[in-house]
Amino acid sequence: MEKERFFGVNWQSMDAGMPPEMNSGAAAAAADQLPNSFLNLGWEQPMHHDVHFESALSSLVSSPSSNAPAGNDSVIIGELIGRLGSICNSGEVSPPSRYQSTNTSCYSTPLNSPPRLNLSTMDHQQQGRGGVPVPGNQMAAGKFSPFAADPGFTERAARFSCFGARGYPGLGGQFGLPEAGKLSRVSSSQSLKAVQLGASDNGKEVPVSEPERPETETRSKFGGEAEFGNSQEASSVSDRMTAVGAENNARKRKAASKGKAKGAPLSSSNMNPPKPSDGEKSDAKRCKPAETDGADKDAAVKPKTEENGDVGRKQGEEGNAKPPEPPKDYIHVRARRGQATDSHSLAERVRREKISERMKLLQDLVPGCNKVTGKALMLDEIINYVQSLQRQVEFLSMKLAALNPQLDFNMETLLPKDMHQALGQLPQQVYPLDMASTAFSYAQQLQGTPLQSLVTNSLDVQGSLNPLESSLRRPPTMQLPRLDGFADATSQLGNLWEDDLQYVVQMGLGQSQGTTAFSSQSMPVE
Amino acid sequence: MEPKSCSGDGNPSRNLHPSKPLMAANFLRCLSRIQQTATNSSVGSRSRRIRRAAYASMAYSAGHRRAWSWALLRKLRCRRVRPVILPRRPRIARPQVVIEIDRAEVLRKLVPGGTGMDYCRLLEETADYIRCLATQVRLMQTVTDSISS
Repeated sequence: MEKERFFGVNWQSMDAGMPPEMNSGAAAAAADQLPNSFLNLGWEQPMHHDVHFESALSSLVSSPSSNAPAGNDSVIIGELIGRLGSICNSGEVSPPSRYQSTNTSCYSTPLNSPPRLNLSTMDHQQQGRGGVPVPGNQMAAGKFSPFAADPGFTERAARFSCFGARGYPGLGGQFGLPEAGKLSRVSSSQSLKAVQLGASDNGKEVPVSEPERPETETRSKFGGEAEFGNSQEASSVSDRMTAVGAENNARKRKAASKGKAKGAPLSSSNMNPPKPSDGEKSDAKRCKPAETDGADKDAAVKPKTEENGDVGRKQGEEGNAKPPEPPKDYIHVRARRGQATDSHSLAERVRREKISERMKLLQDLVPGCNKVTGKALMLDEIINYVQSLQRQVEFLSMKLAALNPQLDFNMETLLPKDMHQALGQLPQQVYPLDMASTAFSYAQQLQGTPLQSLVTNSLDVQGSLNPLESSLRRPPTMQLPRLDGFADATSQLGNLWEDDLQYVVQMGLGQSQGTTAFSSQSMPVE
Repeated sequence: MEPKSCSGDGNPSRNLHPSKPLMAANFLRCLSRIQQTATNSSVGSRSRRIRRAAYASMAYSAGHRRAWSWALLRKLRCRRVRPVILPRRPRIARPQVVIEIDRAEVLRKLVPGGTGMDYCRLLEETADYIRCLATQVRLMQTVTDSISS
């Protein structure tokens, strides 16, 4: 059977037992390039069994419009779209994943990895999880090329995407039209693949997206989807897609995207566990708030998503209650009961958790913040604290300036012998042109010297001047020679730069120049 | 003191970030330099220099892995080249209508390099910045106390 050829295990394993096999088979036949993946398009019977893929596609397009049965068509379409999108976006990191319609994730996965298609090992859960992320990224734009040539194909794909995209209103703006155009083309090709890849569960999860979605939106979805494609979310979405549900577009959207993603990954996950990680890596967002291995997630999702859209997902999930695949580069998020599990909300949840974690850190730093609850108040406290610290620095610097005349003499006494020794070494190290590196190395050595202990003690003990006092009592004569050397060094340094602070800054900058480590460090965005 | 923990990645560093000995050494060196090179300057200019020295040593000890230290060093470096004189536009009196204070924006202005950072990163940098600032303040306090005593 054609379907077997294409869908492989997924197809058969699908609980829903997609009838559309015929359609998919036809489609598969038409598209030679499409690997036999499990493209469970789950297209309904209305899908004409056109041998020609294009015709099949058109039928796909039309069928959803003509009869929107449980939404299988839409699911399929959504899958296709997602796949296409994923292919397009392979590796593209779209801004907040939440904006990406889940569809794209679903879509991307299957499309992205044609090799995965062969996976049809259908566990859709597994595939959904692992495969999704990878395929998305894997799908390089190069894949598009073969498909791009078929304008009619693209049109159909676009239409498909429309179907799928229906549920995703927000996506349109993301990628822009030009990109969308490209995506649509790609997606069309991808969709074909996706259809084939369809992983059985994809077939089950009919893309909920309705056909009304404008193409652009679809495209943007793809972009977003691609991002998610790899994520397990996609897989979960694919599950949802099976649910078809009719439910809200949003829900469908998510389901579709997830379902698709799942479909793809399911098949591919088996094959390339590492790929998803690659895909994931490429996509920062992918860190899958989604989650836990696809299987786990699905399981978790299932109970929750009882809703219309969720139901489908659940069903898909249940079938796939498999052992979670080892997460690659995902940030695994365990969706709790009663929480939304779509990619958007998961990403948001991960983000919120990160933010709350940082806020807790800040709470420890800022004194007197324990009683304050609420982000606004906490932020107020933090702002006040930072301002007060800066004011303190200013005040102390004025105080030090006023005390300056005494500095000269006190510097000797201030520096404990050890510290002085350490500092004395510094100028010699600093002066060579290679000062940056030496200074840096010195700085690193500094931590191990007794100076560290001395300074640390003096600084750690709040207001404790014992160490310094002891140094004060030290006979300065011993330190004088060294201090002179140091003073000479500093004066020499002063001569070198007009600004008294320059050498400190230069050291820092020199380090950056002289040390590859610095330069290689990604400069934090200012 | 444990070595400075350079966790430039997304993980918030829970270690005591600033390396006090390094910071202290830097700062004291700066102080001595200032003291030697500008003994006749006014208190105000000296205090400004000392303040800049404090920030520079703080940023320097923080390294280049933190956004704020990098931004601070850049600012100081550029400042060194030429004093920053921003033309001040005449302020037209406008009714102060503050609908809502965007605290994130305020924080961004306070923390060097805060602009162009997402909220999550901003919080992380703020934590690091607060740690360093607190260390610097303690260091300066110790120095002034030891000097004045």
